[in-house]
Amino acid sequence: MKRYDLVIVGAGPSGLSAAIEAAKKGMKVVVFDENEKPGGQLFKQIHKFFGSKEHRAKIRGFVIGQQLLEEAGEAGVEVVLNATVIGLYQDKEVVVRKGDRVEHYKGNAVIIATGAAENMVTFPGWTLPGVIGAGAAQTMMNIHGVLPGKRVLMLGSGNVGLVVSFQLEQCGCEVAAIVDAAPRVGGYGVHAAKVARTGVPFYLSHTVVEAEGEDHVTGVTIAEIDSNFQFIPGTEKHFDVDTICVAVGLSPMSQLLKMAGCKMEDDPKRGGQVPICDPYGRTSLPGVFAAGDVAGIEEASSAMIEGRMAGIVAAEYLGYIDEEELKSELASLDEALNGLRQGMFAPQNRGKAIEKTEEGIDISESLLKNGYVADDEIEKYPGVTHKTGIHPVIECTQNIPCNPCQDACKKGCISIGSKITSLPIVVDDSECINCGMCVASCSGQAIFLVDESCQDGTATVTLPYEFLPLPEAGTKGKGLGRDGKVVCDAEVVSVKSMKAFDKTNLLTIRVPREYAMKARFFKVV
Amino acid sequence: MSERIKEHPILGVQEKGKSVKFTFDGKELEGYEGEPIAAALKANGVMVHRYTRKEHKPRGIFCAIGRCTDCVMVVNGVPNVRTCITPLVEGMEVCTQYGVSAKPFEEQ
Ligand SMILES: Cc1cc2nc3c(=O)[nH]c(=O)nc-3n(C[C@H](O)[C@H](O)[C@H](O)COP(=O)(O)OP(=O)(O)OC[C@H]3O[C@@H](n4cnc5c(N)ncnc54)[C@H](O)[C@@H]3O)c2cc1C
Ligand code: SF4
Ligand code: SF4
Ligand code: FES
Repeated sequence: MKRYDLVIVGAGPSGLSAAIEAAKKGMKVVVFDENEKPGGQLFKQIHKFFGSKEHRAKIRGFVIGQQLLEEAGEAGVEVVLNATVIGLYQDKEVVVRKGDRVEHYKGNAVIIATGAAENMVTFPGWTLPGVIGAGAAQTMMNIHGVLPGKRVLMLGSGNVGLVVSFQLEQCGCEVAAIVDAAPRVGGYGVHAAKVARTGVPFYLSHTVVEAEGEDHVTGVTIAEIDSNFQFIPGTEKHFDVDTICVAVGLSPMSQLLKMAGCKMEDDPKRGGQVPICDPYGRTSLPGVFAAGDVAGIEEASSAMIEGRMAGIVAAEYLGYIDEEELKSELASLDEALNGLRQGMFAPQNRGKAIEKTEEGIDISESLLKNGYVADDEIEKYPGVTHKTGIHPVIECTQNIPCNPCQDACKKGCISIGSKITSLPIVVDDSECINCGMCVASCSGQAIFLVDESCQDGTATVTLPYEFLPLPEAGTKGKGLGRDGKVVCDAEVVSVKSMKAFDKTNLLTIRVPREYAMKARFFKVV
Repeated sequence: MSERIKEHPILGVQEKGKSVKFTFDGKELEGYEGEPIAAALKANGVMVHRYTRKEHKPRGIFCAIGRCTDCVMVVNGVPNVRTCITPLVEGMEVCTQYGVSAKPFEEQ
C-alpha cells in the first residue's frame, strides 16, 4: 500500500488549492480525480470571476484553472487522473479505481474535495434525449466544442442557469427562455441583465409542464404556478426547442465522508447532506478534512480559500507547521473568505427576500421578476449619473462581493470603498478619459460609457460585447433596451479589442440622444 | 458538421485531434480522435444513444461527465460503454443499444 502525507480526492479549485498549500509546507501530496483532465468545474467557466484581486477577480475561470495547475506543478504535487476514489475508511485508507484496477493508498491525512452533483427535477418527458444538465451543456460547448442544441430552454435562474444561458448564446445557440419555479431570479442581477438585454425572456413562477417529442425533444410547454406549486390553467406557453437545459441547483457529493464515518447533517443552506465540520474543514474524524462544494455549495472563489485552509490545517495536524504559523495563516484567509461571504447572496441570506440595498435603495423588483432593471428604476442607483462628455454608467444594483471596476479606473472615476459589497458609485468631479478599462473589467458586464452631449442630437453608448461575428464600424442595426426589445436605430461607431480587455470587445454605438439611457445592446436586424 | 463551434468569442478556435472515421449503426461518420464518442455523435446530429430494456424508451446525453449512464452504447461489440467519457478511435464501431444488445428489440 502506497503511503502519502496527504491524500486529496478531487482536483477542482478546492482540491488543487489545498494541495498547493500542503506541498509548499513540505508534505508529500497526491490528488486523485476521476476525470481525464484536472480542474473540476473551472475549465467550463469562461466568464470573468467576481470578488477582488486576492480572489483572482476579473480573471476567467479556465485561466484560473491553468494558474492553479501551474502552481501545483511547481509545488511538486502529484495529480493522478482517471482515478475514481470508491472507498474511504476510518483509518484513512483510500480505495482508488483506475480503469479495471483497484489500488489502495494510505494518507496520514485526507482532504475530501469532491465538489457537487447537479440536482434534477422530473416532468413528463424529462428522460427524452435533448433534456440535459447545465453541466453537460457547458462540457459540450466549452470543453468539446460541440453545440448542445440550436434552440434551448433553460430551467433555473440561479447563477448557473444564467451563466450557462449566456455561454450558450456566445457559442451561437438561441436561448428561447429562462424559466424558474421561484418567484424571483436566484442568481446575480448583473448576470440576469446581460442575458435579458440580448432578448431572452424570463418566466418566473413558471415550470415545465411537459417536454415534447417522440425520440428526442422537439418542444416544451411551460405554465405559471401558484404558491402551492399547482399549474394555473390557461397560462401555458409553448416553445419550439430542441434542448431543455436543467440548472436547478447542486448537491454536495459527500458520500465518501459518510462512508468513512464522519458525522453528517442535513443543512439546506449548504445544499444538502454535509459533514459537520469547523470553519477550516476539520470533520469529526481526526485527520479527515472537507473543502469546497462538498462542505457546502458556494463558489469557486470560496472553494479555493477553503482548500487552502484545509491544506494548512492538515499541515499543522501532521506537524509540518506549528500552531503559531497556523493561526497567522488562517487569520488572513479568514479575512479573504469573509470578504466573499457578504452581501445579498451570502450563504446566511439564502432564502431571505431582501428588499433594500445596504445603502437603503429599493432593490429593483423588475430585475428580480424579469431579469432587468426597468427604465424608471435605473436612475435610483449611485452608479447611474449624468454628465457632460463621456462618463461611465454603472448598472450594478445589488450588493455583491465584487470590485474590479474600482481597481480598473486609474482616473479614480469609480469607487466602491473598503466594503467590497457596496454599490459602485461615480465619483464627483472625476474625469473619464474613455480608456474602456472599466467596461472590460466588469465581471457582470454592467458598465457602459455614455456620451449624451454629441452636437448633432445623438449620443454614443459603449457596451461590452463577447459575441461573434463582431460587427464592424459603420454597421447599421438596432439598439435594444435592457429588456432586449428594439428601442431605436443604432450604428456602430467603433469596435475596440485590446489585449488588456481580455476578449471583451467594446462596441460603441450611436443612437438618438433620448435613448442614451435606454439602449444597452446592439443587434443587426 | 454544422454542430461544431468553429470559432468561439472567448476560447477562439479550439484545437482538435486528427480527423478519423468511425461507424454508427453501420453508417460511416467522421469525428476527431480522442474526443468523447458522444461529442462526435452529437456533432453528427445523433440524439438517441440507447433504448431502455423494459419500456424501450430513448436515452441520450444527459450529464456528459460519466455519472448518469444514459449515454451508454455498444462499442466494438461491448455493451454499456459510457460514450461521453470514452475517447473516439479510428475505425470504432458504435451501435445504438437496445436493452443491453446492439440488436433491435424485434430481432432479440
Ligand atoms: C455554470 C457555473 C458557473 C459558476 N460560476 C462561478 C463564478 O462565477 N464564480 C465562482 O466563484 N464560482 C462559480 N461556480 C461555482 C464553482 O464552479 C464551484 O463552486 C467550484 O467548482 C467548487 O469547487 P470544488 O473544488 O469544491 O469542486 P469541483 O470543481 O466540482 O471539483 C471536484 C472534483 O472532484 C472530482 N471527484 C468527485 N468525486 C470524486 C471521486 N470519488 N474520485 C475522484 N474524483 C472525484 C470531480 O470530478 C471534480 O473534478 C460556478 C459553477 C457552475 C456550474
Ligand atoms: S473609461 Fe477609463 S477613465 Fe473612464 S471610467 Fe472607465 S476606466 Fe475610468
Ligand atoms: S460594476 Fe463593479 S462591482 Fe458591479 S459587477 Fe461590475 S466590477 Fe463587479
Ligand atoms: S451522459 Fe451521463 S454518463 Fe454519459
